[in-house]
Amino acid sequence: MKEEEIKKAVREGYARTVKTGNSCCGAVTSCCGQVSMAESISRSIGYADEDLASVPEGANLGLGCGNPIALASLKEGEVVLDLGSGAGFDCFLAANRVGKTGRVIGVDMTPEMLDAARRNARQGGQANVEFRLGELENLPAADNSVDVVISNCVINLVLDKSRAFGEAYRVLKPGGRLMISDLVLLKELPEGIKNSIAAYVGCLSGASLRDEYLALIRAAGFEDVGIVDEASFPVDLMANDPSAAAVLGDQQTTAESLADIAGSVVSVKVQGRKPKKPGTKGGQSSRR
Amino acid sequence: MDILACPVCKGDLQLTVVEENTKEIVTGSLYCAKCRETYPIEDAIPNLLPPDLRD
Repeated sequence: MKEEEIKKAVREGYARTVKTGNSCCGAVTSCCGQVSMAESISRSIGYADEDLASVPEGANLGLGCGNPIALASLKEGEVVLDLGSGAGFDCFLAANRVGKTGRVIGVDMTPEMLDAARRNARQGGQANVEFRLGELENLPAADNSVDVVISNCVINLVLDKSRAFGEAYRVLKPGGRLMISDLVLLKELPEGIKNSIAAYVGCLSGASLRDEYLALIRAAGFEDVGIVDEASFPVDLMANDPSAAAVLGDQQTTAESLADIAGSVVSVKVQGRKPKKPGTKGGQSSRR
Repeated sequence: MDILACPVCKGDLQLTVVEENTKEIVTGSLYCAKCRETYPIEDAIPNLLPPDLRD
């Protein structure tokens, strides 16, 4: 798979997701089925009912693998950066946590997602949330400017994960926290899935092996890196379906190998900390 | 503005406002003098994708 081809497919795939979510009824309402699907996915990955009720309608597209632990750790006044903010679901929850003295910035590379996020922000009237178009490998944020970097099931879609973690490290203040949730693999995927663009867009074939993922975070300079929670993730819930379709659409995939694939994907919540006194490691922390 | 930075060189950006309301800047641009690159702000969203990724 060529890099440009993958990047384009990811952007187009998620642009379609947000469009279809908004098309059938004008605004997303329960008549679509889409929202109730998103809500049931979100509930199954650990969001509380009051969280789901507290965000503007349409912000939850049901695309995450869940980041409630990160959200729970946020304190009044903190500056939060959400990598791959989508329609803004986690940003709005984070904004409630950090309050008026805090700020939440969502970065996403899909214009259609940001349009939806902006609409949701206007509807919700939260003044402490802002969105910008940007790429995780080239974050449009200043060095040492953020208290917490959050991300919910997005970094698997990034081609150069090492660079994305380096950027997260750069923008964090000394002592700042990285609290992300993502899909990782316990073992390599079969070749057919590995090379499927649909499975990439669906968060499957872009996922890294768990230990490699943690090693990349440590290599970026983070300390106290560890998994705070891990859960198996049903393949058919992934991004509402492109992966499942890729898996199921493959004639050679037997029920047995499907179970095998499902068993090798886990949803993890990972945290790390930028050292209070940044050391000499931390790859891209001084690119200016 | 204090958190915004050029995605390429991470340097400071100069803001030009074309249209704003009481809450936010609706249309304008952000200019990086070092890269000589202009990043547009449209519908209150700054487009800070690296130049090669912009449509």
